[in-house]
Amino acid sequence: MAEHTPPDDDAAMARARARLYGLLAATFDGETETVAAALDRGAFAAVAEVFPIDIETADLRGGDYDADALAIGYDNLFVVPGSHYVPPFASAHATDPSEAFESDSRYHTAGEAGEFLGDPAADMAQLYAAAEFTPERGDDIPDHVAACFEFMRALCDREAALLEANGAEADLDAVRELQAQALSQLGWIDRFEAAVASNDTVEGVFAAIARLARTFAAWDAREVVQTDLQPSETTAAELSDR
Amino acid sequence: MSTDDSGDDGASVSRRDFVKAAGSIGVIAAASNAAVDVDMDDLWTDEKQHYVGDDYGEYGASDVIHTTCGQCNTFCPIKVRLADGSGTGEYSSLVRKLAGNPYSFLNTQPFSQVPYDSDPADVAMGDVEGSGDVDTDRWSLSGGRICLKGQAGIQTAFDSYRVRQPMKRVGPRGSGEWKTVSWDQAIREIVEGDDELGHPGLEDIWGYAPQEAVMSDWEAVQNGELSKSAFDEKYGDDLIDTDHPDLGPKSNQIVDVGGFRRNFIRNRLWHQGLGSINSVHHAGTCGVSSVMGNVRSHAAQKKRQYPDIENCEYLIVWGTNPMVANKGPTWLAPKLTNAIEDGMRMDVVDPRLSKTAEKADTWVPVEPGADGALALGMARWIVENDRHDLTYLQNPSQSAASDDDEPTWSDASHLVLVDEEAGPKARASDLGLVPADADTADDFVAVDAATGEPRPASEVETAVLDVDLTVDGTAVRSVWSQYRERVFEHTIEEYAEMAGVSAEKIGEIADEFTSHGKRAAIMAYRGPAKHTNGFYNTRAIATLQHLIGNYDWKGGQITPYAGYDTMSGRYELGSVPDGHSPWGIPLLRGGVNYEDTSLFDRDDGYPAKRPWFPVAPPQATQELYGSAADEYPYGVEALFIRPYSNNHVMAIAGGDEIPAILEDTDTIPLIVASDTVIGETSQYADYILPEPTYLERWENFGTYPNKRLADEKISQPAVSVVPNARPFEDVLIELWSELDLPGVGEDAIPDADGDRWPLEQAEDFYLKLAANIAYSRDPVADASEDELRVFRESHENGLGEQFDLDRWKAAVTDEEWAKVVTVLNRGGRFEEPTAGYDEAFAEHGHGYDYAERTDDSNAYDGEHMRYKLESRVDFYSEVVPKGKHSFTGERFDPLPRVDDVEHYDGTVQAAVSGDDDRERPLRLINWKPRTQGMHRTQNSPWLRETRPENPVWINPQDAAERGIENGDEIALDAGRTTVDAVAMVTSGIRPGVVGAMWGWGRTGDGATAETIDGETRPAVEADGHSDYQFDEPMTEEAGYAKGRDAGFAINHVQPLDEELGDTGLSDLVGGSNAQYDAFVDVERR
Repeated sequence: MAEHTPPDDDAAMARARARLYGLLAATFDGETETVAAALDRGAFAAVAEVFPIDIETADLRGGDYDADALAIGYDNLFVVPGSHYVPPFASAHATDPSEAFESDSRYHTAGEAGEFLGDPAADMAQLYAAAEFTPERGDDIPDHVAACFEFMRALCDREAALLEANGAEADLDAVRELQAQALSQLGWIDRFEAAVASNDTVEGVFAAIARLARTFAAWDAREVVQTDLQPSETTAAELSDR
Repeated sequence: MSTDDSGDDGASVSRRDFVKAAGSIGVIAAASNAAVDVDMDDLWTDEKQHYVGDDYGEYGASDVIHTTCGQCNTFCPIKVRLADGSGTGEYSSLVRKLAGNPYSFLNTQPFSQVPYDSDPADVAMGDVEGSGDVDTDRWSLSGGRICLKGQAGIQTAFDSYRVRQPMKRVGPRGSGEWKTVSWDQAIREIVEGDDELGHPGLEDIWGYAPQEAVMSDWEAVQNGELSKSAFDEKYGDDLIDTDHPDLGPKSNQIVDVGGFRRNFIRNRLWHQGLGSINSVHHAGTCGVSSVMGNVRSHAAQKKRQYPDIENCEYLIVWGTNPMVANKGPTWLAPKLTNAIEDGMRMDVVDPRLSKTAEKADTWVPVEPGADGALALGMARWIVENDRHDLTYLQNPSQSAASDDDEPTWSDASHLVLVDEEAGPKARASDLGLVPADADTADDFVAVDAATGEPRPASEVETAVLDVDLTVDGTAVRSVWSQYRERVFEHTIEEYAEMAGVSAEKIGEIADEFTSHGKRAAIMAYRGPAKHTNGFYNTRAIATLQHLIGNYDWKGGQITPYAGYDTMSGRYELGSVPDGHSPWGIPLLRGGVNYEDTSLFDRDDGYPAKRPWFPVAPPQATQELYGSAADEYPYGVEALFIRPYSNNHVMAIAGGDEIPAILEDTDTIPLIVASDTVIGETSQYADYILPEPTYLERWENFGTYPNKRLADEKISQPAVSVVPNARPFEDVLIELWSELDLPGVGEDAIPDADGDRWPLEQAEDFYLKLAANIAYSRDPVADASEDELRVFRESHENGLGEQFDLDRWKAAVTDEEWAKVVTVLNRGGRFEEPTAGYDEAFAEHGHGYDYAERTDDSNAYDGEHMRYKLESRVDFYSEVVPKGKHSFTGERFDPLPRVDDVEHYDGTVQAAVSGDDDRERPLRLINWKPRTQGMHRTQNSPWLRETRPENPVWINPQDAAERGIENGDEIALDAGRTTVDAVAMVTSGIRPGVVGAMWGWGRTGDGATAETIDGETRPAVEADGHSDYQFDEPMTEEAGYAKGRDAGFAINHVQPLDEELGDTGLSDLVGGSNAQYDAFVDVERR
């Protein structure tokens, strides 16, 4: 169980989580100016050091990174379907193909994994709709990691605002429930992080940030939001049966 | 996600440290502003407790009858869920709910229907494997889609204002007073006449003589071989006018008006039983000019334009609103929505931002009636930029087309005999290319690109498009040469000016239309067509698709009328032994050249007294009442109307002129209405006979050409609400029997073996029709014992004592009965998308596009549609110039053209290419409401609640000029009349154009008081709800049903034809009533 914190601290905690989710969302949305600035300020390294895990923080420090170089690295990893490509959305990492999510999409071959806009996208889109949230990040791909983190950023901001304004307990419960649901959809981050680690062999920056992202999200889920972890194959419908 | 390699327990991470560390991020990541903006009081995450109720009662197949909806003319297959405890009290049954029929692909989009062989018990329970489970999937195929209008059908059947007994008028026509009479009395008086009302009977009116005998004798009179007096003596009782025998027999003066049950009533009883040529449906008040524009653009049957939505990449929706109408709500709307999601671009041409235009990539608000200019502007851009499919256009025949894998070909390269009157296309023998008895003698002629010589089209592989030459002294020009010249009569800028659409936009649309190969298409209907230039507008739009040759291609223009046999097979239902052959000039003067009739000489040629429609079918219903009043070409002695589907007072532009004609008993001595309610038209009848609603009777609504698979719907009685109502078929059978006319009674229907079967009630016909359907193609399976039991139980539940199983069974053979039950239990026949569908369905479920994902589907044939048009398409119609304008004698144009909107005498109502002299500045258009099927659904409080009246849409520019704000009460001045309305100020309508929904402003069906047997029923006011006042359109918190008279009648503010004065304007080429050509002004009250 997490340590008890008074309401003011809860608000500060929610703001802090929002900041980190926001930074991760910007990072995986290819906003390399922001990444460069954060690296320059040592922001990634500072957060990473809080977590007692093995993250190569050396890659996360210093002002040697320029945005253009990072942009090339980002594109090679997450945009251009070349030898280093890691799809930054959940559907591509689902191990169970989305038989039920029939789409005439030309990107999707029924019965095969590695699809686009599969069940995970549908699940995330349902969550966004429930919260009347429209992602600005993630290229309109609902299960894009940047969109998922942006959603968490918005939810944490909302939680902070409610705490600061002494909002209704029911509202607070509701927004935390949504956080739990969103995080429970992020199980695929494990496979994503592994894929980035094996493909980001040149710069190493995105591998380190992906590792931070995975660690932070897992900690947030378990310790802060206290949601049950769900394997990525689990659909929202199944979740609701539990 | 895991923390398994996180080293120490993650819980040891200090929140305080984390907050501090995160502080270093500061405002770096503030670029996204997306926020969670949700009312936390109403937060849901779509878990199972939301949207999915668990308080439902189980029911079985014995509580279900599948039939067809009649609330609008989409005619969806539906499922009637009968209420528990039916069979007691006044009604045979109550309806618990109406839903879509899950056996039909029409009502299960975007999913797939349940396999046809599925047991009705499993379907009713949602137990078909693959059909989903409502508990977990939120979707189950125990019921299909239905729209709000369809659901409100319960209120149609159980309307307290329904006619319950035969009624006879008291006092003059239209007095609103009635008395009930027995069926016997009504039938007797209609047959024999009645002194009380002073009307003749059918036996006094009817007369018939066969055409061949009459015209042979008439020729003898002309030759001096027979005296005129002998001719008069011989035919005086049978012909309308022995001086003008071409008018036909007196039976033609008995006229039927009704939209539904054409096969039974029109073909069988009216035409062959009575021998009257005059059975009229709704076409003139509907889109017949669009239908004819398409018919004249294709050599095989093609009445409508529809795309293969699933594979279309670019769709232009032109003057139609498929999200709402035109077979839309349950069928096209989900398909279009999915296609758009899958990347199809849709642009919408419409003066108004319709529900479809809202979903469009680009909304193109064209000037009303200038659609032809827009289409020809696009054609010019396409031709100028060489974007037409040259290979396609150079194929002059099927053989050449086949070599290019093209199922269709065009007449572009065919040569026209330009010096001959009416400009027919040259045939090979005309030009001496082959002997008159050669196989290719009747071939069209094209110039072979390989030799430069004219040859029979079937012998030419690639033809020259631009041809203007003389062959042995005969001048010929190719169709393409003439079409191109027509297209180039105006610059794109001039077309843009006419259409009110920028030249850049015209270019953009034309560019897009020609950037997708065959996977671009147009869906057009009433918008361009319901003007006096509607035929030519439709031609211009249709021929755009000739330029890319998209017919029969996946993703292109489709034409599958695919269905199953109905009128023949086991029984020859269209055949009447010893029946009459109807002949003579149709009352509505369609399909006949005025110049070929004896009236041309009698009336000194042009102008004819009223318009003729020489190249359209005789369905210009807007002409019916004025023609009766003018006795042109002859008078109407008896009028039978079924205004449930043809309420002309409301539906015809200028319909407010009809009552005065109907009130005059000298004009039409006998008027009989078969109606469900006392409507605006039936209130002028001498008798109103109670008619069952669509939920209580038989019907076979035709299939429509916008689907990939075959189907055939059948309606059957599901409930009996008014016990004394009789389907009009039964009434006519009795009348015909009394008159001893053929086609009814004993030995009326031949079967395939030549044996004869009786026709005594409607089911004698429709059960045989079901047998024809059942045996068409591969016969359906026999119903099992369980299915037979379910059939009996459900019909006993629904129909109570009205159901006579033994009588029904006797209508077909014992062998056929088990298959008939299979068809009836499913509400028709619906083709499955693939072979082995039931196994595939069990595996993949209903959320799977079988037609797309299977190589060998029933929908496609490789890259082509399986059901094809497979014919020539015509830029140039040979038929059209055979007709002449009956006022001026000018020939109609074989090509698409820009034309003004004109009155019969040529007075310009709305100029397209020039100027007009309009007194009022705003063009008034109208459209079908989202929430009403027709006028006939206005009785439903559920529907009136959704939109309580019809506000007038007006652009903010026009509103500001007049000081009008949203919700203001306004006066709409149409010149001949002014009506009160409410303004809806919206940028969703083109400046200079105003518009409103039709369907409002009723005076019948409970909208005004009715007196029956001395008791007066007041008008419906507010259906028991509050006195909420509709004030601000689209902002009302909730709608409450106003009275049935709410709003104003759009057709009663339409202009009258200046020459005729008793009806609206007509398109003489296509036959439609013009309904979007009024000019009005509005001012704040």
